[in-house]
Formats: sequence, structure tokens, C-alpha cells
Amino acid sequence: MASSTNRFLDLLDLLARHDVDFIVIGGVAAVLAGSPLTTFDLDILFDPTPDNIQRLLRVLQEINARYKDPAGRHIEPDTARLQSMRMNLLKTDLGSLDVLRETCGFSYSDLVQKTNEHRLGELRIRALGLEALIEIKEKLGRPKDRFALTYLKRILELEDGEEP
Amino acid sequence: MDPSPQGALPDSEDIELQPGEEWLDEADDEQIRWMLSLTSAERLQVLQDFVDGLTRLRDGLVD
Repeated sequence: MASSTNRFLDLLDLLARHDVDFIVIGGVAAVLAGSPLTTFDLDILFDPTPDNIQRLLRVLQEINARYKDPAGRHIEPDTARLQSMRMNLLKTDLGSLDVLRETCGFSYSDLVQKTNEHRLGELRIRALGLEALIEIKEKLGRPKDRFALTYLKRILELEDGEEP
Repeated sequence: MDPSPQGALPDSEDIELQPGEEWLDEADDEQIRWMLSLTSAERLQVLQDFVDGLTRLRDGLVD
């Protein structure tokens, strides 16, 4: 049964336990970087190697993932879709999960060097760093990204010890 | 005529700043400083608690 609320830590833990190579991007990455802005989805960018796609697929099957289909059809992710689709917007038993092969033209291999490791209890995950988050938000340019940018840039200033 | 149902929230991607909404361009330093004082695990828990709270409100589980 679909969860009505996201279980962020449970999703991350499951991905890590299955050795999926992924990085957290989007709003959750911003929160981990210190943003107080709320998000309801977990967005991940995955390494599209064949072995990693199979590991990811096992996780998605375990949490009963299916696409958020506007027509209400039950469509489950599979190898072909994960290989070919840039964005896979899914609902799962642990909440909404956006599984991306690329974002703004950037792939996992482009961005993995721009991540920071975060310790969440025993779990260690990689999330996009502040500078890369700012770069992507500027490219996206939507009103909600502009709002988030205000916070991300201010975090950078405060971390650098700058005061207005 | 506004095609959206009465009371419906607009999609966040459709929101444009209007005159008088310049506050949206200002970050809340106190909120940021508080988040920066937390560990990664604590920051994620803050997000989880907030989302859980909103979900309870939505489901009418809060007095």
C-alpha cells in the first residue's frame, strides 16, 4: 500500500543496503546542506551501469514502486525504462521517490565529485554539495528554484563567515 | 476566470512573485543558523518531523 508520507531515512537505508550507487539531489540534498525549506519527495541520481540498474530495480520492486501515471495506470519500473528515461517519478510504499538518470544534462558521473558524504546514524550517503545545488537551481530557473536559491546562497555566505 | 478549483493550492512551479512579495527573496538567517547547528541526521529528522506533522494535519489526526 502506498505510504501517504515519505520515510526518507528508510528509503536511503534500503538503497544503501542494496549497494545502489546514487547521490541525493533536490530538496533533501538542500536540507542536508542546511536549508530549512521543506520538500516532500526524495530525488536521487543513479549510476546507469547495468549492474547498478539491477540493484536499483530490486529496491524498487521491494517497495512496490510504480509510476505516477496521470491516467492512473499501474506501470512498474523495469530495466528498459530505467535505462532510457531521464526521470522516473515514482510512488512507493515508503513515499514518493524521483529516480533520475540525469538532471539539467548532468549525469551521476558528472556530479559524484561534487557531493558530500553525510552520516545518518550508521548509514553513510552522498548528497550534492552546496555549490552544485546552486549551479543546478540556477539552470532550472523555476520560481520555486529561485526561492530555494535565496537560501542556498545565504547558507554559503554564512558558512564562509560573511555577514550582510 | 481562474480555472483552478476553489481552495486548491497552485502548483509551486506556477507561482510567480507579485508586487509586495519581495520577502520571498529574503532568507531567514535564524532558521539557517539553526539548521547549520545540527548534524546531517538531525537535519533530516527535522524534515521528517515537519512532513509527518503536515500529513497528520491533512489527515485530520491533530486536535
